Amino acid sequence: MKKISSRQIYFFLACVAPVGKILFLPALLAKDAKNDLLFPILAQILVQTLAVFLVLLLSKRGMSFYELLENTFGRIAAKILIAIYGLFLLFAALLPLLEQKLFVQSVFYDTLPSLIAFAPFFIFSAYVCAKPLSSFGRTWDLLAPLAIVGFVGIMLLSAGSADYSALAPAGAAGGSGFLRSTADATSWFFDAALLLTFMGKYEYKKGMAWKGALSYLAGGAAILFFYATFYGIFAEIAPNQLFAFTQTSKYFSGITVLGRIDYVFIFALALVMAFYTVLPLQGGIDCAMEAFGTHKYLRTILSVLINAGFVALVVTLDYQFNDVVQVIAKTLFWIFPIFFLLVPALSFLLGRKRHETA
Amino acid sequence: MKNVTGDLKKDTETLKKLLPAEDILTFEFVSDRGLKFTVVFADPITDKELLGEQVVRALSHFDGKPTAAEVGKHITSPEMKTEKSFEKLAAEVLAGNPVLLWEGMDEAVIAGTKKVFTRAISEPSTDVAVKGPREGFIEDVKTNTSLIRRRLKTGELKIEMLEVGRRSKTFIAVCYLEGTAVKKTVEDIKKKIREIDIDVVPDSSYITHFLASRPYSLVKQIGTTEKPDIFCAKLAEGRVGLIVDGSPIALTAPYMLVEDFQSSEDYFVPPYRATFTRLLRLFALIVAIYLPAFYVAGQLFKLQLFPVKLLLTIAGSIRDIPFSPSLEMLLVLLVLEVLNEASIRMPKYVGMALSVVGALVLGETAVSAGFVSTPAIIIIAFSGIGLYAVPNLIEQTSVLRLAMLLIAGSVGTYGIILLTAFTLLYLVTTENFGTPLFSPFSPLVGRDLRDSLFKYNLGSLPTRPKTLKSPNKRRLG
Repeated sequence: MKKISSRQIYFFLACVAPVGKILFLPALLAKDAKNDLLFPILAQILVQTLAVFLVLLLSKRGMSFYELLENTFGRIAAKILIAIYGLFLLFAALLPLLEQKLFVQSVFYDTLPSLIAFAPFFIFSAYVCAKPLSSFGRTWDLLAPLAIVGFVGIMLLSAGSADYSALAPAGAAGGSGFLRSTADATSWFFDAALLLTFMGKYEYKKGMAWKGALSYLAGGAAILFFYATFYGIFAEIAPNQLFAFTQTSKYFSGITVLGRIDYVFIFALALVMAFYTVLPLQGGIDCAMEAFGTHKYLRTILSVLINAGFVALVVTLDYQFNDVVQVIAKTLFWIFPIFFLLVPALSFLLGRKRHETA
Repeated sequence: MKNVTGDLKKDTETLKKLLPAEDILTFEFVSDRGLKFTVVFADPITDKELLGEQVVRALSHFDGKPTAAEVGKHITSPEMKTEKSFEKLAAEVLAGNPVLLWEGMDEAVIAGTKKVFTRAISEPSTDVAVKGPREGFIEDVKTNTSLIRRRLKTGELKIEMLEVGRRSKTFIAVCYLEGTAVKKTVEDIKKKIREIDIDVVPDSSYITHFLASRPYSLVKQIGTTEKPDIFCAKLAEGRVGLIVDGSPIALTAPYMLVEDFQSSEDYFVPPYRATFTRLLRLFALIVAIYLPAFYVAGQLFKLQLFPVKLLLTIAGSIRDIPFSPSLEMLLVLLVLEVLNEASIRMPKYVGMALSVVGALVLGETAVSAGFVSTPAIIIIAFSGIGLYAVPNLIEQTSVLRLAMLLIAGSVGTYGIILLTAFTLLYLVTTENFGTPLFSPFSPLVGRDLRDSLFKYNLGSLPTRPKTLKSPNKRRLG
């Protein structure tokens, strides 16, 4: 498989990455920040854009993520760090996985045990994880238009029902509300960390850092528009509207005649989301591969084991979603910036020094 | 292996020993000056009229020196060569070319008087065009290569004959435009063909197995066509074509999935019409694959997928059906597949009756007896027709439809989405001879989209498809 092209990276940042942010998070932020929910999201988008910019700038050095760590921290530390990084990505995968499980269970089925409904996802995930990260690039070429069609379709059906004045007056949540909701949203924004694992697997092009950052901002603008519409439709009852992008479009008047035509767009976004949710798992396995060698069947074995482990975890935590949110999003959120911002920043500062003195 | 000795009796016996079959005949004659000749030929595949006229009659008055060169001058057949090895001579006899031996000469002459059995060139039934050329390939490799040569009158057109099959010794013509096709692709294809170790090659589909990068995959990886105009157009784009003797289906590589959504007619109608037709084919195919699956998934797991009025109609239709929705749909699909299979193989007259039995008796009575519901029959009927919008992919898409139906019946809508994701990932990671199967969509090649599911005006297509990496980029101007 050839390297991921810069265009595919932009597609990921602009179209695929935003899909993971419009499912459970809008309701959570509507609870914490009320009509100010755009501010924490904006803050997260800006921080993440900076991190994405940094990672893309680092990729100019033509190193893989492991080589970057080795160059910055030395060989032994790099091995340890990349293993920790892999663990972090697996940890980060838990919330989106549980979130998606609930989404699948409630949106796709009227009656079906949650395990049967969601277990096939792990078969797909195991298949994807057994493939190298670079095979993702081509899927983004297909997922980008699908995400656009899904998002535009949902927004066309939703925007008419929204009363955007519900977002005013700004500042109702206050400074502490803003800080708390920004912290809560952190667990959903770690795209720069994912991008780090792709280093060395995509070709660097001149101006890529700027274009990548702009792409992420474009995706961020779409997220903001969605959040505004979401709150514009539901206002005070927004915190109760889980799985936001499946809720906003159902008030479209044509639905009474045509049925839930919005499902076409929901399915499109669900397809994109399936690929996006696998990414941290695959990134985790890729890190493990770097740390523990490249035995022929190691990737397949790890892929099966890790996915089997997650099946068990998802079953165990079937009714503990709120507790998991409490632990990951509200307590351990500080872990995320270490990996998506601190590591690339340190690599940028220290690594270059070493590179220059070498 | 032994060579011809010049002892006519002994040489004839040696050759006959190699070819003991009863239809391998020998014919002896003597020239006016008393030189003895023996012709060894395969009776059913040698044109005896030509043999008599161009060889026997020509040599009956032979009065020159008994050398191969002199004898050759008297034979009037345009195809002629000399050979010493008995093994090669035997192969020529089996190919229909008579071998001429004579006293005192340690070399034999092979005359090209093979009898060629060909049917008339006709329009292929799988690729009918309302506008555009109607010629189709036939089973004879020489006729087929002549159809190509007639369309591409250039010295750049290379036709290299390779032989495959230990017993069938089937000729495969490797055709390409030198300087337009990628050299490495040509070499890779020739190498793969040379490496084929097989007993008999009855059809070109046997060769596809050896050329595919994923030979056990359900996904088609080598292009096929029965029309010389399409074949030549593909050569002109930089592809390599293969014509297998005995098969009217020519192969082309590298192959991209989008090719099967294009028809030759698209190039003879206005571009907007061609674009519309191509999108229609895609739509028909998507509906054909997904409609039965979503119908079942909707009934079993998510009734909200249906509008209320449609839901009430469906509820009324399925009320007395004894089977579950998935079993009912599977049953109707199975009946359709059986009818389809039977109608293809049956004689035409019986086929007509079969259609009546299938459509009216089975369909109508099954509904009135309460075995299956009307919506199920309508859906499968539409799906059945939809698949034929892209006939070259029917083997793959019918299996995919069945898989979708099975997963819909067991896991529901999300299962359909996951199977779609799985299929997409598999397709985008498949490539053959360095060309991705899903190109120009994935990896996205903007320029090549102009002749993909969309069709731009000819003037907007000045270059060959970028995906094929042809060294000769421009084709217009």
